[in-house]
Amino acid sequence: MVRAIHYLNQFFAGLGGEEAAGTEPTRVDGPVGPGKGLAAALEGIEIVATIACGDDYFGEQEGAALGRLFALIEGDRPDLLVAGPAFGSGRYGYACARVVAEAGKRGIPGLAAMHEENPGVAAAAGRVLIVPTAVNVAGMRDALPRIASLASAVASGRELGPPAEEGYLPRGLRRNRHHGATGAERAVDLLLAKLAGETRSEVGGAFDRVEPPARVGDLSHALMALVTEAGCVPQGNPDRLPSVRAQAWLRYSLAGEKRLEAGEYESVHGGFDVARANEDPNRLVPLDTVKGLVDQGRIGRLHEFFYTTTGNGTPVASSTKFGREIARELRDAGVEAVLLSGT
Amino acid sequence: MTWEVRTFAPEVLAPDVERIEDLARAESALAGVDVAVVEPGDPVRVTHVLDAVEPRIRPDGRRAFPTEDQAGQGVTHRIFDVAVLSCLDFPGEERPLHEQESIVDLAGPAADLTPFGSMRNVVLSFRPGDGSDHRTLDSAVRRVTLSTAEILAEPTLSAEPVHTHTFELGPVDDSLPSVAALVQLSDLGQLYQLYLYGTPVGESGLPKLVDPAEVMDGAVTAGEYHWAAMRNPTIFFQLNSLVRTLYREHGKRLRFSGVVLIRGYEQSADDKQRAADSAAQLAVGLGVDGVVITTDAGGNSHTDTMLTCRACENAGVRTSVIVCEETDLEATAPILTDWVPEADCIVSTGNVEQLGPAWKPERVLGGDHLLDGRPAAEAGPIPVRNYLGATNQMGQLDLGATSW
Amino acid sequence: MLAKEIEREGIPTVFVTSLPTISAMIGVNRTLRGPAITHPFGLEEEERRQIVERALEMLETDVEPTTVWEVAT
Repeated sequence: MVRAIHYLNQFFAGLGGEEAAGTEPTRVDGPVGPGKGLAAALEGIEIVATIACGDDYFGEQEGAALGRLFALIEGDRPDLLVAGPAFGSGRYGYACARVVAEAGKRGIPGLAAMHEENPGVAAAAGRVLIVPTAVNVAGMRDALPRIASLASAVASGRELGPPAEEGYLPRGLRRNRHHGATGAERAVDLLLAKLAGETRSEVGGAFDRVEPPARVGDLSHALMALVTEAGCVPQGNPDRLPSVRAQAWLRYSLAGEKRLEAGEYESVHGGFDVARANEDPNRLVPLDTVKGLVDQGRIGRLHEFFYTTTGNGTPVASSTKFGREIARELRDAGVEAVLLSGT
Repeated sequence: MTWEVRTFAPEVLAPDVERIEDLARAESALAGVDVAVVEPGDPVRVTHVLDAVEPRIRPDGRRAFPTEDQAGQGVTHRIFDVAVLSCLDFPGEERPLHEQESIVDLAGPAADLTPFGSMRNVVLSFRPGDGSDHRTLDSAVRRVTLSTAEILAEPTLSAEPVHTHTFELGPVDDSLPSVAALVQLSDLGQLYQLYLYGTPVGESGLPKLVDPAEVMDGAVTAGEYHWAAMRNPTIFFQLNSLVRTLYREHGKRLRFSGVVLIRGYEQSADDKQRAADSAAQLAVGLGVDGVVITTDAGGNSHTDTMLTCRACENAGVRTSVIVCEETDLEATAPILTDWVPEADCIVSTGNVEQLGPAWKPERVLGGDHLLDGRPAAEAGPIPVRNYLGATNQMGQLDLGATSW
Repeated sequence: MLAKEIEREGIPTVFVTSLPTISAMIGVNRTLRGPAITHPFGLEEEERRQIVERALEMLETDVEPTTVWEVAT
């Protein structure tokens, strides 16, 4: 019987919601919560223990968290570690990726599960097997058998086949393939597509490096703008910015405002506890501080508009598209410096 | 110019082995040649492969591989699905020659890395004479190989073609995008160079505009023995997929405006930049909207490719670029030899690092042992980088890579 | 990534986040680690001022690619 450890965050381990996000690493015997459904789907693999950690604790004290988590399972002699499913939850997905990566370093094969746009996928950087899931917990029933299937494959130690067949996200490893069309035919096709306005490449993305812009010469005379991926919008979200995977961005006027007042602004970001941000929206978009610095002359001027979107699980492609749109607006407005808040 | 190609079936082939042996005997640098004819799918591994050439002859008596005149006009005969493979283990040590094995498997799991497994191959395994230096040997081998390719096509002069095709570029709708090919040819000195009308390309005034049909009609021949998978044997020019694709699309999706030959391995940073700018200017002069840029072999020829790409893009000529990958097997992103941000439209012709599965051929031609000493019949897994032309960067074959 | 697109226009940008590993990996050039996901710019005004000041310092400094700063030095 293959001995597996299951990693969950505080919520799925039944320890509480956002208020328990600071929960310290903990261990219980056997499967817990979704682990029970997973155990039922697994064949020949037993979940001997479940380890859990609060998403905030992990994000803020990663080294300590990992040390403690693995100390908790030292006596279990695990053959396998499964983390998640984290769905679209960014902090949880990040923790899953890091826990599985750490397991790998300690010789324990593992896999995680989360939505393909979860930041945990980027954090995994191709080193961790990830089963793609739906973006929220409605996808649990669909995810568990697929996690079980890859878990069996990993536990067997056999060489894995292509991602589509085995049910994991491509990690970026390169494998040759006969495309049918010759390289020349593909080159002509791609060139014609590019001439028609659609640039595609068989290789790219990994090389997208941007030169660091030169520093601001004289901030006391510079025009600065505030941008946020934390989903800060006027109370009530009048323009309906989605809480996850925003395919849009919005612009709001800061004219006359000295700070963002609680009750007038809120965060609609779906990936973290917005209570603190809603108590004081300046915690996400530091208007009060920046306005103060403008009054003191430390900063020249503040751009009239702030720009907002939700960065949790935003697909990279549309991030680039509306990133370019925002960037062009800022450039056209003569903005010389930007403070961008993420999560 | 119009160029008519008459294609003949492989059945017309009737190799006169003695005549080929005489050719080799006439070369003082060579002790002789062993000729073997193998059928498609024979379980044969061929090692130390220098070049592959398709049999060609011209009914008007002009040379099939001319050293003057303009190729690509009049009539040429060819035999399809036949290749002459020349093999030689150069005696003595020379780097990089002896670091870069070149193999063709005619059957087995790596057979589809090259096109030769589906061809009848006339394999010439040359035996070097005593005391011949590498360059003298190479010249002799190339002479005999090209002459053999021509002699083998002689039966076509009294046979019926199975197919005839005329290559020409008539006027077409000028609202179609105008496209040219920038084809890179290497020159790093003899043993590592290609020839234009028999002259090393480094001495041929590149970058240079040529008629596309010249490329396919014997004007370009190979004498390049490094970077097995990344280089282009003569047959890839004779059957050039890029040129044929552009002819085919002329009047349909594009206007084929010409071929510019560019040099790989310009020897200094300044020369590289000058050549790149010059190629871009030729493209601008052709009035093209876009170019496909190809690469030959490996190492800093990729720098020539990328600088040419940048120069074209900066001059307003859009580009697509063909290169292969050298991606480490554990890397989670493709690794290219060189790159510029302007290269936003790249075709990858595959990863040379991937290992082909082990295979035991029943017969080995060329040489019994690989250059690294392993027995050719039982060498274990061999990386793609050692298969002739497998990841060539003229886009001749259909190999590419995907992300797992 | 928003930050990279703004940088592409040549505008110096500081991305304040409590997950700087991802930001650096994606290639953002100026990342400042904020104290927590729920409040990257800090809870109280004084902490916020320290964070913003540090961000301004980063905007006024030429950096190597994918540089990450902490608020406290």
